[in-house]
Amino acid sequence: MVGYKQQPGKLPFSKPGSGGKNSFSKPIEENMIPSSQGGKLKQPWGPHRHDSLVSGQVIGKDTALVDSNWKVTGQAHYGDDVRIKGELIGRIVRSPHHYARVISIDCSRALKLPGVVAVATGADANNKFGVLPVTKDEHAMAVDKVRHAGDLVACVAAEDEATAREAERLIEVEYEILDSIHDMRDGLKDSFEPIHDRGKYHIGESNVQKRVFQEFGDVSGMLSSSVASYKEDWVFAGVNHAFTEPHAVVAHWDPTGRLTLYTPQQVPHYVHRALADVLEIPMHQINVHRTFVGGGFGGKSDPFPHEMCAAILARKSGRPVRLTFDREEVYWVNRGRHPSRIEMNLHADEEGRICGIETDALIDGGAFASFGHVTTYYNGVLHTAPYEIGSFHYTGARVWTNKPASGAMRGHGAVNSRCAVEVGLDHLAEQLSVDPISLRLANLLPPHSSTITGFRVTSIGMRECLERVRQESGWTKKFRRLPLGKGIGVGCGFFISGSGLPIHWDPNKFPHATVHLKIDMDGGVTVHTGAAEIGQGSDTVVAQSVAEVLGLPLDMIRIKSRESDTSPVDLGSYSSRVTFMNANAAISAAMDIRNNLIDATAQITNSDKQGLVIGDRRIFQKSDPSVGVSYLEALHKAQEDRGALISSGAYRTPPMGKTHKGAAAGLAPAYSFSAYAAEVTVDVETGQINVEKVWAAHDCGKALNPLAVKGQIIGSCHMGMGQVLSEEMRYSRNGSLLNPDLLDYKIPSVHEMPEVTPIIVESNDPEGPFGAKEAGEGPLLPILPAVCNAVYDAIGVRPSELPLTPEKVFKLIEKRCKSEGILDPLHLSPPSLNYSDLQTTLENRASEHSTRDISRRLNEERSEYYNGALFGLDPSIPPDQSDPSWAVRVTPDQSYLDDPRLAGSAWKHTERRKRGEEK
Amino acid sequence: MVQYRLPMLPHPEEIEWTAEVNGAETTLHIENNAVLLDVLREKAGSLGTKRGCDMGTCGCCSVLIDGDPRLSCLTLASEADGTSITTVEGLSDGHHLHPIQQTFTEFGGSQCGFCTPGFLVVISALLSENSSPSDEEIKSAIEGNLCRCTGFQQIVDSVRAASDILVAGDRVEDSTSAKSDPHPGFGEEV
Repeated sequence: MVGYKQQPGKLPFSKPGSGGKNSFSKPIEENMIPSSQGGKLKQPWGPHRHDSLVSGQVIGKDTALVDSNWKVTGQAHYGDDVRIKGELIGRIVRSPHHYARVISIDCSRALKLPGVVAVATGADANNKFGVLPVTKDEHAMAVDKVRHAGDLVACVAAEDEATAREAERLIEVEYEILDSIHDMRDGLKDSFEPIHDRGKYHIGESNVQKRVFQEFGDVSGMLSSSVASYKEDWVFAGVNHAFTEPHAVVAHWDPTGRLTLYTPQQVPHYVHRALADVLEIPMHQINVHRTFVGGGFGGKSDPFPHEMCAAILARKSGRPVRLTFDREEVYWVNRGRHPSRIEMNLHADEEGRICGIETDALIDGGAFASFGHVTTYYNGVLHTAPYEIGSFHYTGARVWTNKPASGAMRGHGAVNSRCAVEVGLDHLAEQLSVDPISLRLANLLPPHSSTITGFRVTSIGMRECLERVRQESGWTKKFRRLPLGKGIGVGCGFFISGSGLPIHWDPNKFPHATVHLKIDMDGGVTVHTGAAEIGQGSDTVVAQSVAEVLGLPLDMIRIKSRESDTSPVDLGSYSSRVTFMNANAAISAAMDIRNNLIDATAQITNSDKQGLVIGDRRIFQKSDPSVGVSYLEALHKAQEDRGALISSGAYRTPPMGKTHKGAAAGLAPAYSFSAYAAEVTVDVETGQINVEKVWAAHDCGKALNPLAVKGQIIGSCHMGMGQVLSEEMRYSRNGSLLNPDLLDYKIPSVHEMPEVTPIIVESNDPEGPFGAKEAGEGPLLPILPAVCNAVYDAIGVRPSELPLTPEKVFKLIEKRCKSEGILDPLHLSPPSLNYSDLQTTLENRASEHSTRDISRRLNEERSEYYNGALFGLDPSIPPDQSDPSWAVRVTPDQSYLDDPRLAGSAWKHTERRKRGEEK
Repeated sequence: MVQYRLPMLPHPEEIEWTAEVNGAETTLHIENNAVLLDVLREKAGSLGTKRGCDMGTCGCCSVLIDGDPRLSCLTLASEADGTSITTVEGLSDGHHLHPIQQTFTEFGGSQCGFCTPGFLVVISALLSENSSPSDEEIKSAIEGNLCRCTGFQQIVDSVRAASDILVAGDRVEDSTSAKSDPHPGFGEEV
């Protein structure tokens, strides 16, 4: 049981070190030392390159977040908690119109109001910015046009909030209202007044911001071998991150003329760059101070106009400016998941192989590009695994509409199309009369293979996830055997663990993550990192990594990750990259120090340094533990003549992937896998769905902090449950957002949450820190299809529109009743299943593949494996080289354009430059 | 000089307001239409009380008024005149964390931490009324609080663990007494 002994100023602390003979430090915990190093930790997935660095301290132990005491005592300061003497309060004037030209702004009345200190408009900041360098299309405030209701027009700073709000009202803006578009399908058409002008790169005269065409494998051949297929037009509503902390920012120009921006940001580095662009000052004159972040989930990862506004107001007024959002404004900024229309086609052949996936995804980007360029790719490429597939066709388009911008949200771009794929697989299994888990198990890519799109898959624990879920949920007893109204369903997920290329292109091979360590006389380790702690526990993971390598208790590590002035550049908390990249950087920095300590110990003890190991606060000979010194002794020896030990470590992704256009999107140094089973109850008379239980297996490589991994899994379930059951940004017929508040935007409360059983699968990634991969976003993907498939198991209807509100579900039930001539829905029969012969074929294949996978993951001498081997191609040659019909195509040919799908019709437009216009 | 003010918002009168905030008698001059959340954050120094939505939907601003959980964003400060108010800063007694604070850290009840103060005060009220609540009682107690990170499960785990501590009465000695070891754990393995 936990103790109850927290005593500020009298904390139970760790002693910094002990000698070889006396026993300050604890004996090595054999259970935490990997078997490859002679310990008792079993390694069914083989040894890892970091095994020798394990000192048995904290890796793999449930660990409280290192900053949690700040949070539980109310001393954690978030964006709005930063107070600087003499601060002004900022407010933003927002557009009431969906789309309009700003004719004039008159601030004179506002400026006359006593207490108003500064007013700024678009004229104060002309430069564009945006998170992606290729699509910078935002201004601090409207220059020429406002593009959605809630778009920024002007801002004001005043002595107090009441005055600022009054001044906001007194700023008079004259608009010329333009024709707005709200349906994403209208964005594909030519327009008199496209929402943005991309100059010569503009696609037709349309509102298409980005379009993608990709074909891999034998697409035309696939239809001929298909014996079962799935075709569905999916509609996904847009959802918002709904983090609890509204955006807030404080800008302060200090007496030396430098700007400090206090902001709850996931990616302080990109804000840093954008501020320099917009304010036209060099980056070294800016200190971006990340406050505690009250939830991000992707929604605090763009550089935001309001951050620019605060800095501009502070510069104009010469005083600090604090600017905090109302909850409604959070929805105006949005950057949530794209509303999408996805046409999903799946094909299976007579051997139960997935011979084709055809996806056409139209996504609604709202008024700005944000991360949309990447999202458009992710909607396609992130569902080409974990299965081995015969062909893949993807057309995607992102259009601008006059709505708050969509952007990155947990599971970026992968969530909606993954849901459609997994529901489709369930349908294929139904058609083939096989078990959906067996179908999946017989089509998985092996470890150390390459997907059809050329992504390098290293570790893969998909099979174990599915098997664990099948076992723990009692799947075989439940699937297709539960009474009407009760059902169980399965879904899988696949997600990147860090993106292969940084957002800002780096010709100079700049690292993705850098960590600096400093140890002075006191023995405590100061870690400087730019990784953004947003509640996911990144500070804790980096502290754990350093503590493990140096054999120190966690309380001897202190993390300094807040300020760009003192932290090395880290690209930020997005793409589930932090644990993988930052912990790798931290390990390499700690190894440097470790070597210093071992050298010093060898000198003191006059023994061979090869045999020295680090245990708990001691460095000693492995063969004779009595020969050794305390950590502090070794440290002080190492500091002779040089003072503090300082080291730097960095991580950069290895070169990988193919070379076609868009090949970099979706590339990652490792991928996470997950499988969920969900059990639901559907009230057949009302359409109300209750999710009762979820078994959630996630392959995170190695759980460095299992407590946090479980928290991420359960939290992901919560967020995904919201999207599948109740969350929706609702727009009225004239395009107004109807529910910009937490009352009408329904996130699940504690009562809606099912009992989640988190299952951690550790596939020991060869390049991950101690084997770890991501656990933040991937776990969200499977919950949506698992619930949809469970609904089918319960009442025999296949949803294709989210969220599954009772109205929608009841309509589906009514439709089924009508088609079967049944009056009372209680008389419906739940779907049943009789296995066909194919079931045995699949089970045999799955069992063969299981043996293959185990040998591939343990055998270092393994051969190459390219997607396509299951279809008879040579596994050791890339499929496009062994069979010309598998060639990669990234532009549509004329025959496709004769009858394109919805998003595919974006390719009917010709870019201005190709029409000879150089505008 | 012309004063522009919203017509429906005449300049409010200042009143003297007294309450016991986290055990300290506090007298402030506030505007008579001031909302308790603003008074606590801007004048009484309780930045631990969070503003999440301003309309009573998220529960981040929960405080205890005379021991009962209340949404400070929906309470006029004048309604709380003369009461005893406890915010998250008042849960620990200065030397010890409240058991629920301790278990929130150890059982993952807090991730980003923004909703944490609201949960903590609500749960502390529950635990002081009922030191061993059932799961259903825990859920009803926190139904007005939204958390977007944890999915609530680890919060419920934390409450159960805190309840165990309270029931077992596992407290260390008063650390202010002369006998209290200033360096607990010294000389033994920690």
